[in-house]
Amino acid sequence: MPCGEYFTSYESRMGLFRWRTQRIALVLGLPIPFILPFALHGGLMSTITQIYIFTIAVLGLNVILGYAGEIVLAQGAFMAIGAYTTSQILADGLFGVQIGLLPAMAVGGLLAGFVAVLFGIPSFRVKGFYIAISTLALQFISEWFFNNSQLEWLHGGTQQTMPFEVGLIGQWLTITGTDMELYFMSLVLMLLFAMLSLNLSRSGTGKVFRAIHDNDLSAGVLGINVFRNKLLAFALGGFMVGVAGGLFGYYIGFISPGYFTLDLTLQHYVMLLFGGLGRVWGAMLGVGVVTVLQEFLRGFLQSVASNATSLEPVFFGVIIIVVLAVEPKGVLAALGQIKDYLRKWPFAY
Amino acid sequence: MVDVSTFFSITIAGIGLGALYSLVAMGFSLIYKVTGVLNFAQGQLALIGAYGVVIFATPAVLGLNLPAVVAVLATIALGLVLGLVLERVIFRHFIGEPVLSVIIVTLALGGIFSGLLRFLVGPNFRSYPATLKPGWSIELPLGASIGASFTLGVILSLAVVISLMLFFRYTVTGSILRAAAADEQAAMVLGVSIERTIIISWALSIAITAIGGILLAMASGGAGFTIEAVGIIIFAAVVFGGLDSIPGAFLGAIVVGLLQEYGAFYVTDIIGPGAGEILPMIFLLVVILIKPHGLFGTERIERI
Repeated sequence: MPCGEYFTSYESRMGLFRWRTQRIALVLGLPIPFILPFALHGGLMSTITQIYIFTIAVLGLNVILGYAGEIVLAQGAFMAIGAYTTSQILADGLFGVQIGLLPAMAVGGLLAGFVAVLFGIPSFRVKGFYIAISTLALQFISEWFFNNSQLEWLHGGTQQTMPFEVGLIGQWLTITGTDMELYFMSLVLMLLFAMLSLNLSRSGTGKVFRAIHDNDLSAGVLGINVFRNKLLAFALGGFMVGVAGGLFGYYIGFISPGYFTLDLTLQHYVMLLFGGLGRVWGAMLGVGVVTVLQEFLRGFLQSVASNATSLEPVFFGVIIIVVLAVEPKGVLAALGQIKDYLRKWPFAY
Repeated sequence: MVDVSTFFSITIAGIGLGALYSLVAMGFSLIYKVTGVLNFAQGQLALIGAYGVVIFATPAVLGLNLPAVVAVLATIALGLVLGLVLERVIFRHFIGEPVLSVIIVTLALGGIFSGLLRFLVGPNFRSYPATLKPGWSIELPLGASIGASFTLGVILSLAVVISLMLFFRYTVTGSILRAAAADEQAAMVLGVSIERTIIISWALSIAITAIGGILLAMASGGAGFTIEAVGIIIFAAVVFGGLDSIPGAFLGAIVVGLLQEYGAFYVTDIIGPGAGEILPMIFLLVVILIKPHGLFGTERIERI
């Protein structure tokens, strides 16, 4: 907190942007992502678009894992459900009616949220790693399901190509999937979901989630319906990951089960834990840093040896273990500590 | 449709497969029982066992060409050493950390192991040396037969489950491990070195898992990355048996092996290939919903 500024009301304490510095940073910083595409070339813009999309998915994970504290290992499965549903609705329409890209993604998100709730039901009796195991089973089942050509009547083909020219809503506002359109669509959706998560963490629901995270027994004693709120977290988080999956599918234009494996789950965990669990800004920072790092690493490894790309998970594994051993709260918390230290310097307190 | 002799031979195959799974599953529950770490890298550890033999016995990777038996022993020794190293480098820092951290660490370890192996030996199937591809099999009544690796698996897994139970019950080290498992702090007060118990259990667990991996690879004639999936399938076994019970893991693995073989034979026509692996997963979900603490697992009561 800067010197000489104090909270005089609860409203200002609970505000989204609490300090003058933050408001100035918002005014100066917000236009940057909107100007950026006119200054950058295609490849970099595509990377940033991917960062936005993954941010949505990691924010969804953050709702379940960071807020409600349930260990969900099925990011790949939820994204796959979102992507395949979106693709199917774009191809065949929902009950024969073309509803457009955004509603299709919403339906995909709803389906992913529904599946998340279904696999969250064991949390009625058990907690902690049982959810991890049951969602890992979901990941395994989903990889099998989308690879299974005999179940084509249900998922509509193992590998699908998404149409590029679609209406955003219904037949209106047709877009053609250029880099610029993808960029702005992802940016707007990302900002929307970031606002949603920020507001969720400030609202009563978010506080209930945090109470369950800290100690579900005491939360229950205080009169919180633990089971219902856990399922609510599953539904919200699953919805966000599903929407991200649909958007990701449209972004790459071609979906196959190979994109939605356990590696994707691990990658999202690296992003979230690197940035800081339970913090929206942490999730954004983590996705950005890790994605950029990944691009560099991939290029570097390919230049070293042709089979060196299989070492990629090794680097991320090492990063995640080091982060957990050194600062389990993530880089953002570490930055906060440095800031605190500098503010008091040269005194100890 | 249900033919008795086919059913019988599928049952035998299921028990054989279950015995192989049970080695990996027992390695898992040994670690969980003593250290409370839920090891998501178990499949990759089995993979290390499977590819360890390839690395030591064929000149493709290190230029070594050891005889098969020596290679197997070297792989098991590698497992013991790996347990020691893992404790020293990683798990010592995570004593008393939240469940999430430990789970993510084991997941990351799984990624590291499989990435390193892919880099070292390449993603392709590697055939085992001829001495490790025994062709004999035991003829059983009703026209069934059980293959060499399955026979070895049944014998070894029975030996391991019995010796582990005796070890936990009658040796001093075993009772120290049980004490550390029951109450870490009380055991520390009584002079038990938690670090040492963790080292012992990791080394034992990885060695057993490596044996399981080698036998699984022998059953298919060589090592392939499909073995990784065993890490997920054994969850069905250990959850059904009760996470911290070694006999439970054994029994659960047999059940899962049977389910997989029945699924592969009877259900594949209905829902497509891979039904054998999916049936244990559905079974796992049902167990978690109905009886989450399994057959022999201890239900810990929480207080605020």
